[in-house]
Amino acid sequence: MRNRVGHGTRSVASTVTAALAAVALVAVLAACGQEARGGSRYEPEGGKGSTVGLAMPTKSSERWIADGRNMAEEFRKAGYKTDLQYGDDTVENQIAQIENMITKGHELLVVAAIDGSALTNVLQRAEDAGTRVIAYDRLIMGTEHVDGYASFDNERVGRLQGQYIVDALELEDRPNETFTIELFAGSPDDNNTRYFWNGAMSVLRPYLESGRLEVRSKQTRMNQATTLRWDGGTAQKRMDDLISRHYGTTRLDAVLSPYDGISIGVLSALKSAGYGGKNQPFPVVTGQDAELASIKSIVAGQQTQTVFKDTRELADQAVRMGDALLTGTKPEFNNTTDYDNGAKVVPAYLLDPVSIDESNVQLLVDEGYYKAGQIE
Amino acid sequence: MTTTQDRTPDAPAPDHLPGQRSTGGILLDLARNNVRQYGMLIALALIVLLFQIWTDGTLLLPSNVSNLVQQNSYILILAVGMMMVIVAGHIDLSVGSLVAFVGAIAAVMMVDYDLPWVVALVLSLVVGAVAGAWQGFWIAYVGIPSFIVTLAGMLLFRGATQIVLEGQSVAPFPQGFQQIAQGFIPEMGPYTQYHNPTLVLGLLAVVALLVQQIRGRRRQAAHDLTVLPFPLFVAKCVAMAAAVVVVALTLASYHGVPVVLLILCGLVLLLGYVMRNAVIGRHIYALGGNREAAKLSGVRDKRVTFLVFVNMGVLAALAGCVYAARLNAATPQAGLMFELEAIAAAFIGGASMRGGVGTVVGAVIGGLVLGVLNNGMSLLGIGTDVQQVIKGLVLLAAVGFDVWNKRRAATTT
Repeated sequence: MRNRVGHGTRSVASTVTAALAAVALVAVLAACGQEARGGSRYEPEGGKGSTVGLAMPTKSSERWIADGRNMAEEFRKAGYKTDLQYGDDTVENQIAQIENMITKGHELLVVAAIDGSALTNVLQRAEDAGTRVIAYDRLIMGTEHVDGYASFDNERVGRLQGQYIVDALELEDRPNETFTIELFAGSPDDNNTRYFWNGAMSVLRPYLESGRLEVRSKQTRMNQATTLRWDGGTAQKRMDDLISRHYGTTRLDAVLSPYDGISIGVLSALKSAGYGGKNQPFPVVTGQDAELASIKSIVAGQQTQTVFKDTRELADQAVRMGDALLTGTKPEFNNTTDYDNGAKVVPAYLLDPVSIDESNVQLLVDEGYYKAGQIE
Repeated sequence: MTTTQDRTPDAPAPDHLPGQRSTGGILLDLARNNVRQYGMLIALALIVLLFQIWTDGTLLLPSNVSNLVQQNSYILILAVGMMMVIVAGHIDLSVGSLVAFVGAIAAVMMVDYDLPWVVALVLSLVVGAVAGAWQGFWIAYVGIPSFIVTLAGMLLFRGATQIVLEGQSVAPFPQGFQQIAQGFIPEMGPYTQYHNPTLVLGLLAVVALLVQQIRGRRRQAAHDLTVLPFPLFVAKCVAMAAAVVVVALTLASYHGVPVVLLILCGLVLLLGYVMRNAVIGRHIYALGGNREAAKLSGVRDKRVTFLVFVNMGVLAALAGCVYAARLNAATPQAGLMFELEAIAAAFIGGASMRGGVGTVVGAVIGGLVLGVLNNGMSLLGIGTDVQQVIKGLVLLAAVGFDVWNKRRAATTT
């Protein structure tokens, strides 16, 4: 060795230190093993006082912010700790968050899936760790490891939207007139999308077939009408194109929109095409979720309708279901036949949605969902 | 540092005659030459330590270490390829879209056409190679800047993904394919509180590490190159071996070594060797460092550039399969922003905007810094909104530190 000898002692000291540190570190970690915390055979304890993981899709929609807040509050009141996380509408974020919740030993997960079909593997892990899972609002597909589903009656949401269009255009009372309509559907990777669509179409289809309602773009199949990630901007672009292509000279009378964010995008496109003036009033535009922007729009006479789903009730329901699962009692379900996720029929509790338009918008204030000052 | 005191800060660097250097001098030089990488390694250790404390020890729980590997595997794979692209003086913005596209192709092959998963995997890698060759052709032989070509690729592959998937998620995949991202090497032998094959692999890794270190030292000594003083060398070996043992024991407390970690280690060893020792690797550095000089010295610049992009394409395809396997679904939104994560990892890990600088291991360290930040913040329940702010600041700080350090080096010497 060609190094100078004089520094030997100090270097030896540092060697010894390093070696000792390394050995100490190994010793600490060697103490774990598969039965220790975090090991593959470790079994956490459950019951009251355990932590509930709430995996919500995104903070970009006020609806989910409110859902998360309500549920966290209710679970805390019921005596649980909560861990609320938002996945930024990115599938892998949500998966990582759920994995981390399992790692942290949470006893129950309430998941509003970003992509309901991409959670099979991570829920297998939940099962292995003995973690219970509730699908919230959106059904989780292709896995047996879902203990319950709390949602609104989504097909009924669609029927309310369809029926509103039929009533608003007075299709029953004016049997000789025909009207134009364009159709929007939700995100193709969200299982709820087809329930909304099927519900609405069950009402509209007879009129489409008899020609009373005309879709000039001929885009009447669901996969032609879907809006990826429920994105308003995407819907706006599609509406722009539909107007310039098919409604240059003809008036558009109605738009079936499954969600307020899409409705707002659709209305922006309609505005830039000249709708909303005195001679050219807005078409009938439906919606869903009673988001504040849409309620204001309804009060201002732009959007026509939305479907109110009291997410506080849904949160309550999820908390009751979760509490039952954690304390070992039987949760209450009111539908155990319809929600087949491909691996099993998930027992569900469905709540009733309410149609809202200018005439009954006050209901939201009376219910305490919004304050009077907020919606004007 | 034993001899730093007897030199004033402005003194010239110690003489470079081999074999006559002091311990401190050698250490200082080592630190100088690798400041970004060592800096990031220290930063990584600090981040790990901080989150270990903040999360009450959850971060380094066996199950979470396993999660860390699986959550970051595809970004690390991309970062390795991206590092090579950046070293060559280019950039690739298309990898995120390519990840989605290859995942979609693999899904359609397995779900709609019922191909065996091994065949689908191999074909997917071929698709990645072809996509890489397509971009490499325009960049290397036609001379369109990589920024533009890969920006086009970003749109092209994203659109193609949506066409292939018709906007919907395609699932589920065969068990074998899922194991690429989700699987562990199987347990063997008696129950020992630990995963036996992982212990054996750990032991093998330690032996291989020591053999490689000792051989390297012998070779350097034989060529009269400066070597670390013997006690320090021992300390280094012990520290490295301890690190391997710790990781092995941790993983052995859970389900063992994740399959994807084996893939990743294989890649790092292989591509690390290529970049350090193979002719093509040295040519990549030469090209990135000074294109004209490299050309004049006989580097076939077009061929090298082309191959760098083919390599990136294959790695993106691999990442796409790993990602799809992890989700057990191919989704139209797969891989969004992955290109930026990979680029950030490469720069945090020591790449230079001007090219010619960076190592494969550096890219992995950079990727791990981001990964541990993600995982640690998620464990703490910090929202993805704040997470993005922090990751942005870390990227800025890492590259800023490097720029500052270079400037300081330039003024003091």
